[in-house]
Amino acid sequence: MTVLLSALALTAVAAVAALLFARRALLLLRLVRMGAPLQRFDDLPKRVENEAVVVFGQRKLLLRLVPGLMHAFIFWGFVVLFPTILLALIGVVDREPGLPENAPLMWLDRQGWFAFLVDLFCVLVLVGVATAFWIRKVQRPQRFEGSHLGEADLILALITGIVTTLLLWHASKIALGFNEWPAGWSPVSDALSGLFGDSTVTEALERILVWTHLLLILSFLVYLPYSKHLHIATAGPNVFFGRTRARGRLEPLRFEGPDDELRFGAGTVSELTWKGILDTMSCTECGRCQDVCPAYQTGKELSPKLLIMNLRDHVFAEGPKVLADGGYEAPQLVPNAVTDDVVWDCVTCGACVRECPVAIEHVDHIVDLRRHLVMVESRFPAEADPMLRDVERSSNPWGKAQAERAAWAEGLEVRVLQAGDPPPEILYWVGCAASYDERARASAVATVKLLRKAGIDVAILGPRESCTGDPARRMGNEYTFQALAEQNVATLGESGVTKIVASCPHCFNTLANEYPDFGGRYEVVHHSELLSQLVRDGRLAPAKGDAEITYHDSCYLARHNDVLAAPREIVSRIGKPLEMARSGRRTFCCGAGGAHMWMEERGSAINEERVREAAATGAETLAVACPFCTVMLDDGMRTTGTEMRVADVATLLAESLQ
Amino acid sequence: VSVLAVVERTPDGVEPLSLQALAFARGVAAEGPLQAVVVGSGGNELAGPLGEHGVSTLHVAEHDAYGSYAPAAVARAVVELVERLSPMAVIAAGNERGNEVMAHVAALTDLPLAANCVDAKLGDPAEVTRVRWGGSLLEQARLHAPVKLLTVQPHAVAAEPAPAGVVAVEPFTPPLSELDLAARVTESVSTSTGGISLADAKVVVTGGRGVGSAEGFAVIEELAELLGGAVGCSRAVTSAGWRPHTDQVGQTGTKIAPEIYIPCGVSGATQHMAGCKGAKAILAINTDQEASIFASADYAVIGDLHKIVPAIAAEIRKARGA
Repeated sequence: MTVLLSALALTAVAAVAALLFARRALLLLRLVRMGAPLQRFDDLPKRVENEAVVVFGQRKLLLRLVPGLMHAFIFWGFVVLFPTILLALIGVVDREPGLPENAPLMWLDRQGWFAFLVDLFCVLVLVGVATAFWIRKVQRPQRFEGSHLGEADLILALITGIVTTLLLWHASKIALGFNEWPAGWSPVSDALSGLFGDSTVTEALERILVWTHLLLILSFLVYLPYSKHLHIATAGPNVFFGRTRARGRLEPLRFEGPDDELRFGAGTVSELTWKGILDTMSCTECGRCQDVCPAYQTGKELSPKLLIMNLRDHVFAEGPKVLADGGYEAPQLVPNAVTDDVVWDCVTCGACVRECPVAIEHVDHIVDLRRHLVMVESRFPAEADPMLRDVERSSNPWGKAQAERAAWAEGLEVRVLQAGDPPPEILYWVGCAASYDERARASAVATVKLLRKAGIDVAILGPRESCTGDPARRMGNEYTFQALAEQNVATLGESGVTKIVASCPHCFNTLANEYPDFGGRYEVVHHSELLSQLVRDGRLAPAKGDAEITYHDSCYLARHNDVLAAPREIVSRIGKPLEMARSGRRTFCCGAGGAHMWMEERGSAINEERVREAAATGAETLAVACPFCTVMLDDGMRTTGTEMRVADVATLLAESLQ
Repeated sequence: VSVLAVVERTPDGVEPLSLQALAFARGVAAEGPLQAVVVGSGGNELAGPLGEHGVSTLHVAEHDAYGSYAPAAVARAVVELVERLSPMAVIAAGNERGNEVMAHVAALTDLPLAANCVDAKLGDPAEVTRVRWGGSLLEQARLHAPVKLLTVQPHAVAAEPAPAGVVAVEPFTPPLSELDLAARVTESVSTSTGGISLADAKVVVTGGRGVGSAEGFAVIEELAELLGGAVGCSRAVTSAGWRPHTDQVGQTGTKIAPEIYIPCGVSGATQHMAGCKGAKAILAINTDQEASIFASADYAVIGDLHKIVPAIAAEIRKARGA
């Protein structure tokens, strides 16, 4: 009789919970399916690997040890304790179910080792929750600024409730002798069983505990899809469908095809990609992105976390209206979901993307918003207009004469590759900055001298080289970028170029990671890689000096392309290396990325922040491997009045040979 | 009525770009009388000059509020006429005020606006060619609307006179509300260049980081004034807060093309030089003889600007016998 009643009660509450959950889940699914198409079903092995490493291995969370372990305990606890939910479902109906003994669940319930794991992970989850409370209430890191703190407290309280009732339920079973597992294997539950006295009271308590436990789980289930804690369901898929190709590559837009399939970035909610919408649902507001964002850290309006949260709020507010009425004209994402300033503050350094434990792609969002603003609305910071125009008209961002592109190389006897010439062993892609900028030229001159000294047959394209289109693309002008990409790919193809060395990390990234989308496939190396190889092979023999040198990683080298070791190898061969607090893949941008070289900066300057960090090492030289870092950081030295030399690794290497 | 032109007034007559817009309007209208609208009292004095440019009827919107520029109020007058006359098109100059007024007209009437046109063929739909991307792209677009709202790209058409004979002047008073006057010009302040715009100045004297402070610009201002030129500054100066961004010469500031450019204490970064490559002659003053500014300079003075600039000023005064 009680069994029947219990079963009926369980069916009723479970049905209500499932219905509430399903209703919301269905809406979320329809919202994701509303998004614009994006190919993320390829490259399966890599996706499985990401799932294993990032989700189950918790790799990104463990980048920060204490909060990482805290999360890992709760997450692994969730995985291990999952079967206990099913056991509780059965336990609610009948404390001694007449299920066959060899049913897998019943078998598991009898295993001492499983009981031990359950006890262990209950404790670990409680340790995790306590740590989480300590972080949130005592430590109060800045990264939570702007997050929903009350919601987090409620979720942590729910988890505490669920795990505590599980332990006490097990304890009451032991007290009553209803445990299927050997009690000695679950020391915590066994110890707690001593709390229970009179057996009639305990029997009633056992019922209350299992029901409380189950009702808490069901409340959690219902609350989940309405809260930021939704990531339990979405983070897995979001990581699975995350980027698998080069991190520095942007997804190209197609400008050919049927009108209704063309997309010029994201203007309204339905133009976000489906992965972009899934991104917004995966955010847990942990703020790791905000913590590393150079724009946020220098007092600008952009916070990558708030960007995603604001997009999410907009998706939930406007998405259902679009689903309900296909003709509904949703408001523009900018400025209704995020402001113009937020969109333009980003330097595309990718620190947020690297940090995000759930594979949110902030930079792709920013670029898609920019694409719409620039190509559809012609709305962007006015001071960037000359750059966009000059890139298109003059093939370089400063409007310099294309005929003077090789002027820096006069007297260096470097071959300027003419149409029809035999291809060189390696082509040096100089880039606009090194071609025209006084400060950046030094590195190009040094690079050519070093390569010639090592006996490498190197040539440059001279006036036939155009801007790769990177600044236009990062500004959102995909159209201009693609025109330049096609032109450069054609030039390189006609010249039979197969191997390229680039000294500009932005050119390097575009040539290596983005030109393949336009038919240009080359072996591309950065000059720091080639030069360090030549040093290793003994073809260049630098003299070790005693100068202290600190190396600044360019975002597009270290973070986007994993080039970290080569420039450090050069530095350690010519001086005494010192590391900055933020280095390698954790590097802090110089402030020029994302076309910010051609925009005015609001608030305090990113380059000055970085220069102060460099100066704190006490080194006398700041080595760089990017012409834009050279200019930005040299400017920063001047504005802060810091006496520190900024020089490219090639320049330093050339000097050490003399 | 085929075309209604919105004419902007200046303190001494008609905005030249509005005359270009009238020439454009005549080309678009092909036939039929050209009507125009101006706002403010004394508008009828423009009947003569506008008649020279093909206007047959001049509507003068009169209201006390037209003493100062209020874009929404001007738009109200235009909308009033659009409703009364049902023109095929309304055309204004594509300068900042023209575009602003027409944007308000578009919003009030819920009609599309094609800004910065260089060519248009009326009809249904109208076919327009317009400038995008600051001149690097021409867009051909079709405009579906009962009334076509267009602005004319500045300097795309010459302001040829075309006498139209007698001009009928029709005053009217548009109904203006408080809201129409919410945004209006309340005060005009000229910039520190003393009325000479940086972009148009024949002489520009620029100070860089080497000037050292906001006060240090006194010598730069003095020299600029003596030469009848404008004061510029480099990005470093703007970042330090010594001068406003409107004074900044460079890639992300104002592009200048003076006869003589005098950068003082400016290192000459590529970003800066991109803003002054139109200068006919450059006289650079800098203590650092390695400064890259000297690579582009026609005349170089290596020395402290705080000594050299006052010395030049003194010489100019002496030569002028002051």
